[in-house]
Amino acid sequence: MINCPSCGAALTLRSAAQVYSTCSYCQSLVLHSALGIEDLGKVAVLPFDMSPIRLGTRLRVEQDRFHVVGRVRWGWSGGAWNEWLLEAGDGSPAWLAEAMGMYLFTRECHALGDDPVVVAFASGREPQLGQAILLDGTLLRATDIKAAQCLGSEGDLPFATLPGTELVNADFRSRTGAALSLQRQGESVSAWFGHFCELVDLEPEGLREIEGWPLPEALR
Amino acid sequence: MSTPAQGPATVVCPHCGGTIDLRAAGYSVNLGCVYCGSLLDVSRPDVALIRKHDRAQARFAMDLGMRGTLFEREWAVIGAMRRKDNSGSWREYLLYNPYFGYRWLVEWEGEWQFGTMLLDLPEGDEDAVTWRGQRYERQWDPQVAVTGAVTGEFYWRVANGDRARCVSFERAGATLSREEVDGEVTWTQLVPVDADEIKQAFGLDGRRMSRAPGRSSLAGKPLGVENDDLPYMMLAGLGVAIVTLLFMVFIAGPVDRIEGSVAAPYGETLEGVQIGTLEVRRDWQFVRVKARGREFDNRWVDLDYALVSRETGQATGGYGLVEHYSGRDSDGRWTEGDRRSNILLGRLPRGTYDVYVDAAAHVWPRDGVPIYANGWVAAETLPVTIVAETGGLPWSNWFALVVLLFIWPGLIIWHRIRKS
Repeated sequence: MINCPSCGAALTLRSAAQVYSTCSYCQSLVLHSALGIEDLGKVAVLPFDMSPIRLGTRLRVEQDRFHVVGRVRWGWSGGAWNEWLLEAGDGSPAWLAEAMGMYLFTRECHALGDDPVVVAFASGREPQLGQAILLDGTLLRATDIKAAQCLGSEGDLPFATLPGTELVNADFRSRTGAALSLQRQGESVSAWFGHFCELVDLEPEGLREIEGWPLPEALR
Repeated sequence: MSTPAQGPATVVCPHCGGTIDLRAAGYSVNLGCVYCGSLLDVSRPDVALIRKHDRAQARFAMDLGMRGTLFEREWAVIGAMRRKDNSGSWREYLLYNPYFGYRWLVEWEGEWQFGTMLLDLPEGDEDAVTWRGQRYERQWDPQVAVTGAVTGEFYWRVANGDRARCVSFERAGATLSREEVDGEVTWTQLVPVDADEIKQAFGLDGRRMSRAPGRSSLAGKPLGVENDDLPYMMLAGLGVAIVTLLFMVFIAGPVDRIEGSVAAPYGETLEGVQIGTLEVRRDWQFVRVKARGREFDNRWVDLDYALVSRETGQATGGYGLVEHYSGRDSDGRWTEGDRRSNILLGRLPRGTYDVYVDAAAHVWPRDGVPIYANGWVAAETLPVTIVAETGGLPWSNWFALVVLLFIWPGLIIWHRIRKS
């Protein structure tokens, strides 16, 4: 068990794999690794939102079961979105992006290391709208590229979410609902591949009940 | 773990101080204040004013916050907007359920459609597309839809004057609509819903809903069976058309006419310019409002008319649009739009009316004051002449009647020509 080095409260850790946790009592960002425990500073409080997902919510994608271990909220000039960090039973991560009432489920994709669009993105050149990437026979085209700032976080995450943290996100979509996200934070670039879906498709359990909106039959 | 405070969230309008419910907190980006019409940015905790306005505009058949069950799911109305193109104006309502996301209700002359944004996209060209293995064909020429009044919450940046290029494809009543704004394309599937079902689901007041255009009782007659009836049908059709025209002229009544002009400013709305005072001398009369802009290009002017009765204070509104664009592409020079607008306001009761207009000029493709190549700033207003007259004739209704009257004889003739 780990206690918050700032306020002393016990940290609820949902993931053994992630080394950054936000203390739910004092909003301190705590780095905990084999080298020790460190207080990195305060993270912004997440503004209230209507998301039915919360830490601990369980989801299913095909045969794999996931649970929600953390969340980052990103803001850009045209709005904001949530990225929920999911963890499978074997500890492998996935992200569930939540925006416009839709969900994008993605897993890390290592197959694109030498794609010229990805190489250019890694060296700081953004793709053009409409530019294509071919992945496993699926043609994906760049639909939007945005620079975002971290607006807050909760739970366990793989990176620090202090105020001022920036992200460049390039979304690619296919005709079939498949999607690819390229993300760049400073020097580090990652590619995430998955598909758009509705909440119902994820067979969620342990959703947050929202005042005035009884949980629908289909989601119970 | 701290549990976040439970909704519903509220925000305070920085312009008028009104408290507004935020029904999709965390998703909503723009909010049109229901009290003063100002546009707010609600994407961050500190609410920012985007555009001031001092009048909540436009009446909508549905109120914000109304709940109703459609397709076995409950929806709340959280946003409403008026939109228009060359063929008319319609209303769009944004529906929201935190567990199912967003849907749309689109109302055009009393006909309703339920819209769902597509996650898997249709494939094809400008004439036809394929979606989930079925072919949809284009309905009309591509249109530019302009956003008018907005109120409530939206999950994207929305503003009066937004322009989207729209193409719709149809198959057996269902429509796939493609909208493009600044290179970003969204597809929406629209399915028709009966007006009574909407009324019942949301508990709407029927008097506030537009009525669907009347259906012709001529429909349903078997085609080309009673061949001998054809001359009789033509004659009867002609007779009905003439009698209706005479009747229309008779009920149109005496004519009163006023003329004035308005200097529409760029990027803002000039409100409440009085054009004149109009006398309606019959129990009920139509009023025609015409607008005409002089030589201008790549501009458009939104005109919002209000005829306010001196006796009752009741306002009757209408919309006008004068526009003209030109450019050059791979097919050569093109021009689009009409510098004239001509609308008919439905039956006004006898009385004296002050005619007001709100006008806003816009530069295409971007708002702002136009700057000429030599560095001079162009005139900051665009003059529009406005004429309002009573005794207008509802020509479009009459033409629709003529089309309906002759559609069956026409089809029969076509059938016979093809057979012979």
